[in-house]
Amino acid sequence: MELLPQAIVDGLLIGGIYITIAIGFSLAYGVMHIIDFAVGEWIMLGAFLGFYLHKGTGIDPFILLPVVFLVFFGVGYIFQPLIHRVLSGKRGNPVLMGLVFTFGLALMFRGIALTAFGFYTHSIPAKFFQGSLFFQFGNFFVTIPMIRLAGLIYALSITAILHYLLKNTDFGLAVRALAQHKESAGLMGVNAKKTGSYVYGIYVGISAMTGVIIGSIFSINAQMGADYTVFAFFVVVLAGMGYLAGVPWAAFLLGLVQSFFLIYLSPSYTLLAVFGILYVILLISPKGLFAKGV
Amino acid sequence: MKSLFKMGTVVLCVLSLFLFGFSGIGNAAERDYFKVGVITSLSGDLATGGNVTKRGYDLWAKAVNEKGGIKINGKFYKVKLYYADAQSEPSQGASAAERLVIQEKVDFVLGPYSSGVTLAVAPVLEKYKIPMITGSAESPLIWKQKFHYTFGTIPPVNYTGATPIKTLVKLQPAPKTAFILGSNDAFSKATAEAFKAAAEKLGIKVLKYNIVPAGQDLTPFMSVAKALKPDLIAFGGHDEELVNLVKSLKQINYTPKALLMHYGVTEPAFVEALGNAADGVFGASVWTETLPTKGTFLWSDAKSYADAAMKAFKVPPDYTQAGSTAAGIAFQAALQQIGATPPLSEEERDKLVSALEKLDIDTFYGKINFADEGQYYHANVGLEPLTVQIQKGKVVIVGPSEYAEAKAIYPMVPWNKR
Repeated sequence: MELLPQAIVDGLLIGGIYITIAIGFSLAYGVMHIIDFAVGEWIMLGAFLGFYLHKGTGIDPFILLPVVFLVFFGVGYIFQPLIHRVLSGKRGNPVLMGLVFTFGLALMFRGIALTAFGFYTHSIPAKFFQGSLFFQFGNFFVTIPMIRLAGLIYALSITAILHYLLKNTDFGLAVRALAQHKESAGLMGVNAKKTGSYVYGIYVGISAMTGVIIGSIFSINAQMGADYTVFAFFVVVLAGMGYLAGVPWAAFLLGLVQSFFLIYLSPSYTLLAVFGILYVILLISPKGLFAKGV
Repeated sequence: MKSLFKMGTVVLCVLSLFLFGFSGIGNAAERDYFKVGVITSLSGDLATGGNVTKRGYDLWAKAVNEKGGIKINGKFYKVKLYYADAQSEPSQGASAAERLVIQEKVDFVLGPYSSGVTLAVAPVLEKYKIPMITGSAESPLIWKQKFHYTFGTIPPVNYTGATPIKTLVKLQPAPKTAFILGSNDAFSKATAEAFKAAAEKLGIKVLKYNIVPAGQDLTPFMSVAKALKPDLIAFGGHDEELVNLVKSLKQINYTPKALLMHYGVTEPAFVEALGNAADGVFGASVWTETLPTKGTFLWSDAKSYADAAMKAFKVPPDYTQAGSTAAGIAFQAALQQIGATPPLSEEERDKLVSALEKLDIDTFYGKINFADEGQYYHANVGLEPLTVQIQKGKVVIVGPSEYAEAKAIYPMVPWNKR
């Protein structure tokens, strides 16, 4: 029982990590209707950029975040027309084509990374946010690792910024219009290609920054992407495909389930529990937790 | 246009028939080199170990060929490696084995990285009667199945895993309680089982014992450790999982008296990834580059092997790489003993297996002596299991006492005092 506060805190902190993995993915799906199987690879590539930049300059990875964002925003911006072309092609089923295209990208990035970065596991050491906060009240105690707290704050900030962008700016209005109805938005003067490029750039940039955070909290290697793609996918499905506001809640729910299972039941069956709950929720509400998905 | 296409197809067919036929004839004829299959995981989750294994095999082939080849009855036969990527998946390993045997017609095989893949590959090679030595599979399950054609240079974890626990119980104050966990794969599970069996036998109370799926964040579970305060945390897993566990413990700021892991600790990447947090972590090994061995094949001792490896790959070798090189040496020695020349016939391959069973040689890696009966059937039991510890970023032998190079650092220095 004395671990109850710890279980809650750990759950929220894991949830924070899930938000960072899934939020960009959800945005990209919401606007472009693309299920990007390469999300884990964008995370991995961002992580490696952070790793090498840190190694080369000695600058703390948290300060490097904006640089990583800018670089990958550019990469995403350049990449988007390719994906746009695949998705708006006249042949075949565009959604399926999009899946195959991003799956191919993922495999390609993974292969290139394995050759270019080698097969070793690395870590990005952060000097900021070291140590942990420790609280004790009677029998209860809580440890909050600073670096994970930083991860949670990062996740919430990104969510808040995206929310602001979407709800309070002209750009956001255009994005929402595109998400609702591409043709009508076009008729109203929204440049679908350009807006799509910005959105994809933002998504890739956020995913790349997430990679750096993951490298500081956990570890990185060329093969890491697949695991994160799966988690991004689960969080987004649970939140409702493309429903951005649902992502934090879905992420926290999965984090809490994981943490309670690890602490009170058995670490052997945690992932089973996470997936079990996901399936049950989807059976009851196929459009996600809030029934607002696509 | 259509007829041109048809004609092209016919020409291609004829050409490929000719080529296949030609290579078929080539295979049946005498060769002046050995075809050696190498099945290992060059991609996927276990790519680190797989590539380390590959380095070991490559180094052996390079060293042999630089000397002109394997000398059999006065003539030199070079070795040529044929690679197959098992992609860290047992099923891929099995089809890779099938391909190497049927298409490449290899004479013998240097085996996979990871026990799971080895368990899938061994029955295939058993079917085709192709001898295999694996340089890096440590699950006791392999040897319990008594595969006639499969051998291993690294002793199984139930042979080596007890040693670090034995070393730990001699330290003061001896650990009394333990948390033992293992990742859910053949090797890691066996490691955790070996740690548990040894701990219980030596009077350490096991507070928690769990086999966990790979790839999950164990931090909340480490919070349980922080509440129960076990003296020892022992974990069977692979490189990435080990790094994550140490980081978890550091983040929640719980330092057990001893932290024990197995494969991966001796990998230079472990220290590189963790920096000073790697210091004090215990591991099990059968070889380090400082071990006083005397080799009669290719390298005279551990040090000269380490130098050659460093020159070739710019990374210090660990026991997996050394064990893989030793697997090549074992084949080399057995082939010389039976005087078999390529291509090996089925009869010669059977002779090779018998020679391997009787093999007792000294190498830079230590003694190679495959058991020919009992629970370690065909695993190398010629080596002494060692307890190692990371001290100031270096792998140091701390037990058993006759091999110890330094005193163990115990209890561990708390994370926040480093």
